Amino acid sequence: MPSFLLEVGTEELPADFVAGAIHQWRLRIPQSLQEHSLSASSIDVYGTPRRLAIVIQGLPDKQPDREEEIKGPPAQAAFKDGQPTKAATGFARKQGVALEALEIRATDKGDFVFIQQSFPGRPTAELLTELVPQWITGLEGKRLMRWGDGDLRFARPLVWLITLLDDAVLSVELENGSKTLKSDRFSLGHRVLSPGKVIVTHPNNYVDILQRAFVEVNPQQRQNKIQEQIQAAAQKVNGSTPIYPDLLTEVTNLVEFPSAVVGNFDEEFLNLPAEVITTVMVTQQRYFPVFKSNNFEELLPYFITISNGDPAKSDIIAAGNARVIRARLADGQFFYKTDLSRPLESYLPQLETVTFQEELGSVRDKVARVSKVAELICAQLQLPKDNSNLIQRAALLCKADLVTQIVYEFPELQGVMGQKYALASGEPEAVATAIFEHYLPRSASDRLPRTITGQVVGLADRLDTLVSIFGLGMIPTGSSDPFALRRAANAIINITWSANLQINLQRLLEQVATDFVAAHPTQLNLLHQLQEFFLQRLRSQLQEEMIDYDLVNAVVGDNDSDYKIRALQDLLDVRDRAFFLQSIRNNGELEKVYDTVNRSTRLAAQGDLNTTELHPQLINQALFQKSSEQAFYDALVQLEPKTIAARASRDYQQLITALAEIAPKVSSFFDGADSVLVMDSDPEIRRNRLNLLGLLRNHARVLADFGAIVKN
Amino acid sequence: MNFQSVIAVLHQFWGDLGCLIAQPYDIEKGAGTKNPHTFLRALGPEPWAVAYVEPCRRPTDGRYGENPNRFQYYYQYQVLIKPSPDNIQEIYLDSLRALEIRPEDHDVRFVEDNWEDATVGAWGTGWEVWLDGMEITQFTYFQQCGGIDCRPVSIEITYGLERLAMYLQEVEAITKIQWTDNIAYGDVHLQGEIEQCTYNFEASNPELLFTLFNLYEQEAQQLADRGLVLPTLDYVLKCSHTFNLLDARGVIAVTERTRYIARIRSLARKIAQLYVQQRETLGFPLLNVKGGVEANV
Repeated sequence: MPSFLLEVGTEELPADFVAGAIHQWRLRIPQSLQEHSLSASSIDVYGTPRRLAIVIQGLPDKQPDREEEIKGPPAQAAFKDGQPTKAATGFARKQGVALEALEIRATDKGDFVFIQQSFPGRPTAELLTELVPQWITGLEGKRLMRWGDGDLRFARPLVWLITLLDDAVLSVELENGSKTLKSDRFSLGHRVLSPGKVIVTHPNNYVDILQRAFVEVNPQQRQNKIQEQIQAAAQKVNGSTPIYPDLLTEVTNLVEFPSAVVGNFDEEFLNLPAEVITTVMVTQQRYFPVFKSNNFEELLPYFITISNGDPAKSDIIAAGNARVIRARLADGQFFYKTDLSRPLESYLPQLETVTFQEELGSVRDKVARVSKVAELICAQLQLPKDNSNLIQRAALLCKADLVTQIVYEFPELQGVMGQKYALASGEPEAVATAIFEHYLPRSASDRLPRTITGQVVGLADRLDTLVSIFGLGMIPTGSSDPFALRRAANAIINITWSANLQINLQRLLEQVATDFVAAHPTQLNLLHQLQEFFLQRLRSQLQEEMIDYDLVNAVVGDNDSDYKIRALQDLLDVRDRAFFLQSIRNNGELEKVYDTVNRSTRLAAQGDLNTTELHPQLINQALFQKSSEQAFYDALVQLEPKTIAARASRDYQQLITALAEIAPKVSSFFDGADSVLVMDSDPEIRRNRLNLLGLLRNHARVLADFGAIVKN
Repeated sequence: MNFQSVIAVLHQFWGDLGCLIAQPYDIEKGAGTKNPHTFLRALGPEPWAVAYVEPCRRPTDGRYGENPNRFQYYYQYQVLIKPSPDNIQEIYLDSLRALEIRPEDHDVRFVEDNWEDATVGAWGTGWEVWLDGMEITQFTYFQQCGGIDCRPVSIEITYGLERLAMYLQEVEAITKIQWTDNIAYGDVHLQGEIEQCTYNFEASNPELLFTLFNLYEQEAQQLADRGLVLPTLDYVLKCSHTFNLLDARGVIAVTERTRYIARIRSLARKIAQLYVQQRETLGFPLLNVKGGVEANV
C-alpha cells in the first residue's frame, strides 16, 4: 500500500495561517480523496512557520474499476422489425460502442436499450498529480499575496515542493510568472541548526528525517514540548506561569524547534502595574510572565521566551531579550510617570482629537452623550443624589485614559489604567472602579460589573453606541458586526438581569432615539429597528439560559406587540416569567392548566374582547343557559383579585395555582353533560361565551401567551 | 560598529549585489516608502533595485529627546527590489552577517506584520524581523501602490538604523549611539530634536499650516493637470507633512481627519497613474537594462 508525502516549503507563514491551513486540510483532504474513490489508512497534516505537509498512508495503487450502465432510447424506437433505427445507431455512436454492444432490458417504464460501460480506475499517482495543486491553491487565508512576477496567490511565497509516492518523486509543477516551482525530494531543515538541503527518502520517514533536521513538524508535539519547557523554566526560578491559550497557539506556530529561554529584568520595574508588565510581555514580546505562586498575583522579575534559536546560544539570546524587555519596560515607566503627572480630568479636552465614528464625532462628544443617557437611567432607578453624582463623574471620565500614553501604546489596557489614574488623581473609589467596570463584560465569559456606578455607566455607554450606530443605518448583518452591537445588547440585558436593575428599556430607547434623530435626521424607523434588535437578543439570551424555544415565544411574544413592549419595559419580569414557565413545565404544573387555557385562548381569538380586560362585570349573566356558565363566571370572579395580586407581586405561582383550581370548571363548560356550544347561533349568547373564554385567556396572559406554547 | 559604519556596510553590501545606491530625497516625509525611488519605481513592469538612507519625520512621535527610544526625526535604511528575488530572506540574513550579527548565534525570526498606508493607497504583506526579541527590520511585499496593483511585486526592506546601532553598540538610548568613535548621536541631533518638538507641539502656527496645506494642494493639482509627475509628488509630500504637523497640534477635528487623508490619497493615486502612463509613453526604458539584482543573486 503506497504512502504519499506533500510538503509545501514557504517563507515564514503568519502563525494564524498555519493553524488555519492545517484545519482546512484536515477537513478537505479526506473529502477530496473520497470524491476520487481513493481510500487511505491514515492522513496526517503537519505545519510549521516554514512548511505545510500531508502524509497519507495505505493508498491503493489505483482507483477501483467502475462498471456503469447507460440507458439509451426505448427498445421500440431503437429497433424496427429487428433492425436498428437511427435512434440506436446514434446512441451507439455517441457512447463509442459497436451496435452489438446494445442490450435490451426491461424497466418499470418498458423495455429500453442499455449498454454496459466499464471504466478502469485511474492510477493514484496520476490523480495525486492533479489534486496537489488544487489542495495548495485552495487554501484560504485572511490576506493572500502575490510575489515575483506571477499571479499565484498564497499566504507567503512558496519556496520548495516535495511530492513523494513511496520513494519516487511525482512530478508536480506550479507556475508563477517567469518561474516554475518543480517538485522534488529536497526539504530544508531548521534555519540555523540544520542549514542546507535535507533529502526525504520516503513519506513514512518524513517526520523522523525532519526531526533530525531540528524541525518538529507535528504542531501538537511542538505545543506539548513548549508547555513542558515553560513549566520547567518557571520552576527553575521558583515561579509558575499561567496558561495563555492564544499566546501558546501563536508561539507554537512561530518556531520549528522550540526551546524555552529564561531572562530577567530589574526588580525596580515591578513598581509598574502588573497589567502593564504582562501586556508588554504577552502582547508585544510574546513572552510568558512568571509569577511567585499559583495564584498568579505577584510577578517575579523574570520572563520566558520560546526561542527558535540554537539552545547552546541561550545565554546570548536571553541577554538580548533582556535588553529589549528592559527598554520596553523603561518606555512603560516613562509613559506611566508622564501620565501620572497630570490629573485624569485634564485629559478630557484631548478626547476631542480621537474619532469615535466619522459622523458621530469625537470621543469627547460620545462622553457627553453617555453622561446624558446615564442621567436618564439614574432617574429611572431613582438613585439617591450621591449615587447619581458619582455616576455622572464616572461617565465624564470613563474614556479619559484613551489619550494617556500607556493606553495609546497598549489599547487593551483601557479602563484598567483609567481606574489607576483616577485613584491617583484623588477621584472617589466608586468613580475609579466604574471606569474599569464599564467595559465589563469584555467577552462572553468575562465577569459583569459589580458596582451600581459601573453598571449604569456601562449600560449608558452601550446604549449610546447602539442607538447612534443604528441611527446611521449601520445595522449588523450576518457575520458583519464591526461595532460589536450584538455583544453590546447582550451585555445590557445581562447586566440588568444580574444586578436586578428595574429599568424600562423601552422608554430609554424612545428617549435616546429621539435625541439622536433630533441631531441626525433620518428616514429610518429607528425605534422599531432597535426594538426588534433587542427582542432578538433577548430571545437568544433566554435560550442561553436554557429556556425552551416555545416558552421564549410565550413571554417575548410571537408577533404579539403587547408582549414585545412589555418585555422591553421590564427585562426582569420577562426573565422571571420565562424561568417560572420553564419550572412549571419541568414540575408538571403547566400540564394541568395547559389544555383548558390553550383551548380557551384559541377559541377566544374569534371574539373581540380586549386582551387587557380582566373584570367579569361585562358578562351578562342573564344570558346563561347552563350551570357550567355560571360556574365559569363565579370562578372568574374569584380569580380576578388573585390575578391582580399576582401581577403586582409578580408571584406567578399564585396565578397558576388559581388557574389550576378553576380548570375543572372550564372543562365542564367545554365537555360533558353540562357543556355548551360556544359558537351558538344567537350572536348575543355567542359573544357572551366568547367573553368568558376571553377573560380566562386574559388572566393567563398576565403570565404568558399560551397560544405560543407547544403541548408536551 | 559606529553609526556611519553601519550605513557604509549596508551600502557596500547592497551595492555589491547590484543595487543602485541612491541618496535621500530632499523633502520631509514620514517614511522611506514615500521617496520616489520606492513610491514611483514600485509601479509598472520595469525591474528596479535600489538602496538608500532616508531621514524620516513623524512629528507626533516626538518626546523632546526624553524618551530613550523615541525621536520624531530618525533614519531608515531602505532597500527596494523588483521583482522580489526568490532567496531574499537569505540575502537579508547575509546582510546581518556583514553587520557582524551571526544568525547562528541568535534567535532570528520573521513574524507576520503587514503594512498599509491609507494616505498613499498602498499596502503589502510581510514581516517584522526579530533579533532576540528586538524588531530590527520591516519586510514588505508591495501588493498595491497609489491604488494600482504592483506587477511585478517589489520587496521592500527597511532597517531601523538607530535600533541596529543601539543593539550593536549595546547602548540604552538613541542619544548614546556613537556616530563616529568620537561624536555621539545626541551630539548631532539632541538639540535639534528638542527644538523640533517645541516647534511641532507648541510654536507652529496652525492657521498658517492650514493655509499652506491648501496652497500645496492647489499647486499639486495644477501640476498634476500638466502631467508633471515629480513636481506633483513634491507638493503632495508637502501636503502630507503639513497634515502631520497639524495633527501634532491636535487641531484637526475628527470629522475633518478622513477628509484630509482622502484629499492626499486622491492626489497620490493621480501621481501613480500619471507615472505609469509616462513610463509607458517612454516605452518602459528600464525593461531592457541588464544586470540588476537578479544577475547577482
